[in-house]
Amino acid sequence: MLRTIEVSIVIFILAVAFVATMFFAVLPSPKQIASPNLRQLALTTLRILDKDEVLSETVFKAPTDLAWTHLEIALSSSLPPNMIYNLTVYDMIETGDITTFREFYSISNTGSGFGTDSEASTYLATSPNVTFTVTPQKISGTLYILNCSDANGWWITGYTGQSLATDLQNLLSPYFNTTVMVQNTTDFESLLDGNEISGNPYENVTNAIVVNSFGEAVPIPSTYADAYSQDSYAEYCYELGKRVNLYNWTWVSIVGYPFYYVSNTVEFSGDHNSWGIYGMIRVGPGGLDSFLKGLDVENNPSYNYANPSITGSPGIVSFTTEAFYYSNYYGLYPSSYQTSTRALPSWIQGTYNTVAMASVFNQVSDRYAAATFKHAGTGAFTAIGLTRTPDVRISALALLMYYQPIIYRSEFSLAEDERPTQRLIVLQLSQQGGS
Amino acid sequence: MTGVTIDHMVATMTFIAAILLFTGLFAQTMEAAIMYQQNRHIAIKAGDLLDSILLTPGYPYNWGETNDTLSCFGLQQPGAAGYTLSSFALMRLMSLSERVEYPRDSGKWYNNITLGPNGFLFLPVGDSIEYDTASRLMGVNGTYGFQLSITPIVEVSITEYQSNPLVLRIEVNGPGSSLSGATLEYYLYKANKKMELELFSGTAQTDSIGVGYLNLPLNGETDTYTILVYASLGGLIGLGRYTHFIFTQGDGVMPFVVDYAAGKVYLAHSWDVQDQGTPVPNYAYNATFYIMTETGSFQEWPIANSTGGLNYGSKNYAITTLPVGYSGFMLVTYENGGQVGMSIMPWGIGSIAVSTLFGDNPFGNVWTSTDLRQVSIDQLSYQARIICWSLQGYQIMNPTGWF
Repeated sequence: MLRTIEVSIVIFILAVAFVATMFFAVLPSPKQIASPNLRQLALTTLRILDKDEVLSETVFKAPTDLAWTHLEIALSSSLPPNMIYNLTVYDMIETGDITTFREFYSISNTGSGFGTDSEASTYLATSPNVTFTVTPQKISGTLYILNCSDANGWWITGYTGQSLATDLQNLLSPYFNTTVMVQNTTDFESLLDGNEISGNPYENVTNAIVVNSFGEAVPIPSTYADAYSQDSYAEYCYELGKRVNLYNWTWVSIVGYPFYYVSNTVEFSGDHNSWGIYGMIRVGPGGLDSFLKGLDVENNPSYNYANPSITGSPGIVSFTTEAFYYSNYYGLYPSSYQTSTRALPSWIQGTYNTVAMASVFNQVSDRYAAATFKHAGTGAFTAIGLTRTPDVRISALALLMYYQPIIYRSEFSLAEDERPTQRLIVLQLSQQGGS
Repeated sequence: MTGVTIDHMVATMTFIAAILLFTGLFAQTMEAAIMYQQNRHIAIKAGDLLDSILLTPGYPYNWGETNDTLSCFGLQQPGAAGYTLSSFALMRLMSLSERVEYPRDSGKWYNNITLGPNGFLFLPVGDSIEYDTASRLMGVNGTYGFQLSITPIVEVSITEYQSNPLVLRIEVNGPGSSLSGATLEYYLYKANKKMELELFSGTAQTDSIGVGYLNLPLNGETDTYTILVYASLGGLIGLGRYTHFIFTQGDGVMPFVVDYAAGKVYLAHSWDVQDQGTPVPNYAYNATFYIMTETGSFQEWPIANSTGGLNYGSKNYAITTLPVGYSGFMLVTYENGGQVGMSIMPWGIGSIAVSTLFGDNPFGNVWTSTDLRQVSIDQLSYQARIICWSLQGYQIMNPTGWF
C-alpha cells in the first residue's frame, strides 16, 4: 500500500510539472512566427509612394492640402486590407548639435492603437525647395597627371598608365583649379624645362603637384634619356628630384618601388625591363636614392650614384585615425587594411632632409607605407609603398590628407518659412486578426 | 507477504503507465515547439529569399536582355538602387502557364506568359529561366521551395459603359481600397479598315469610389481599338488595357519571340498555332512598336517588315526585330474580309502591367510562409510576394503519403 501511495505522489508531481510547463511554455501564435516582415513592407511602401518625390513634396504641404488626402488613399490602397497603419511626420529642428523631433501631422486607419505587434520604418524627406551643394576648396597649384601615350607602366597590373591617369583626374580634379594631363614625353620634357604646356592661363609650373600614374616606371623624354643616362638612368632620377626641388613640386608615386624603371616606347623600343615589357629599362634601387638626393640638392649639389635598397616589406598595414577621418571627410573608401612591400623607412627623413607628414597607415617596423615626405627646403614626395595592384584612391587620399582642402557644404532654401528643411516620416504597420 | 508483492506490482505498473503517459505528453509539447521553431525558420527564410531575389541583379548583370546562361539569380534592375526590378529579367522567367507549341507538332515549345484576351507573350523555352535553375542558384534546391508572384499594386479595369458614342468605365483599385481622385491618362489606338492607327489621348479623374469615365468619339460596336490607361495617385502608378474588335476570320496574327537576345519576333499566322478549320483566311497585317519613355508616355519606334501579308501555305510568318533593352509594346492589327483585329505583345513586363508567377507549386505543404515587398518596374508600382515552404522535415507530402 505504501508503494502505491508513493507512486501516486510521483504521478501527482509529474502532473503538476506538466501543468506548470503547459502554463508557462505558451507557444507563440502563427501570426507571430510567420508574419510578413512589416518593417521592410513599410520601407518599400514609403519608397513606392515617394516615386517622383511625391511623398517628399506632400509632407511639406499644409495638412489641409488635398495632397494629404491623396497620400492617405494611396497608402490605404497599396497595403493589404488587413493592415492597419499610422504614418506620422515629424519636424526636425536642429539647435546646435541637438536635433528635436516635433510631430507635424499624422494619418492613420485605426483609432484604437496597435497593441504590441507592430513594426515601423522611417524615411527622411527633404523639402523640394532646398538645394544642397558641396564645394571643395581649391588647392593652390596646378595638378599635372602623367598620361604619356609613349610610355608603359609597371606594377599596375590590370591597368594602363593612361586609364589610371583618367581615374586620378576624376578623383582629384574637383580639388584643383587647373588640371593638366601630360599627354606624351615631349610635353613632359617641356614641363621639366619649366614651360607651361596646356595654354590654360591658370596653369602654373611652380608649386604644382605631379602624379606619376605609371607605377614603378617613370616616363623619360628622349632628350633627357640622351643627356642623363648614367647608371641605367639613375642620373635622370636625380634630375627629376632636382626639378621637384626647383619648382617646389609634390611628386606622387602611386604604387611600388618609385623610379625603379624608366619608360619611353620610342627611345627604348628594343629594350625591355627584364620582365618582357618593352619600351622600358630597369634602373633599380638607385633610382629612388638618386631622386631623393636630387630633392635634397642643397646637400647633394652634384650627381653621386649609389645603389642602396631603401624600401622594406612591413606586410599588412592599417589606416591611421587621421586617415579614417579624412576617408569619411572626402568620401574615399579604399580598404583600411592594405599590404605594403615597398614602404619607405623613417631614416630617410634624416638622410635626405625630409619630414614625413600625413601618413595614411600606422607605422610598422619603423616604416611608412604611404606618406608625404616634405623636404626642409622646397618640394615634397608622396610615396605609396603598397604592393600591386594599385588602388588610386589611396594616392588621392594621401594627397588630400597632405593638403587638407576644406569641403564647403551649403544648404539653400528659397524661403525662410520653408524651414525646417527636413522631415522624418515614420510608417508603423500592424496586422489585424490572426492572433 | 502476498499483500506486499501485490502492492509492489500495482505500484510498478501504475508507475510505468504514468511514465509512458507523461513521456507522450511532454513529447507532444516538445514536438509542437520544434515545429514552431522550424516554421519560424521558414518565415525568416522567406524574407531572406525575397530580399536576395529583389536586391541583386544577378550575373551577368544584364541577363534579362540576353539569353546568356545565369550564374547568379536576381531580378533587380542593373544600376538601379533598392527595390526596382528589371522588366526584362522578369520576362525570362518560366511561367507556370501551359506552354505553347509553335509551329504545331514541331516540338518547339514556348513559354506562355498569360496576358488575358488578345495579349500574347511567347518566348522560347530554351531562353527562359526554369524554377530549378533559380532554386539551385539561390542555394535552396532540395531544402526550400518557393513561388514568387509579381503583380501590379494598382488594378485598372476597363469596361465598355456605352457603345455609341463610346464611353469607357475605368475602375481603379488597390489591394486595400479603391483609388478615389486618381488621375487617369489614356492612350487609345484606333485602327481603320486599312489598319492605320489613329491616336486619341487625354486625362480624366476617378470619383469617390475609384471610378472614372472616358467619353470617346468612337463607335464601340464597330470600331477596332486598344486603349491603355495610366492611373496615378500619391506616388502609386498602375496601368490597364482593353482591346475591342469584331473578327470572325480565325485567330489572326500572333507574335512569337524566337530569338530573345536579338529581339527577333515572328508575326505568325494563327493557323500554325491552332487549326480553326477551313477555309483558312489570309491576313494583311500592320505591326507598330511603341517604347515607353521616361515620363511614361509612348513613342513609336520603327521596326522592320511592319506591314505585309500572311497565308498558311507559303508565307505563314513574317520577321521583325524589336530594340533590345527598351520597354514597350507591339500592336499588331490584321485584316481579312473587311474585318480588322488587334493583338498586343509587351516587350518588358512593366510596359503594360503584366503579372508574373514563377516557381513551384506549394500543394501538399501544410506550412507555408508569405512575405511581401512593394517594388517598381519601369514606371509602375508592383507588389512582390513570395510563398516559401520547407522540403525537409515534417508535414511534407510525397506520393506515398505524409511524412
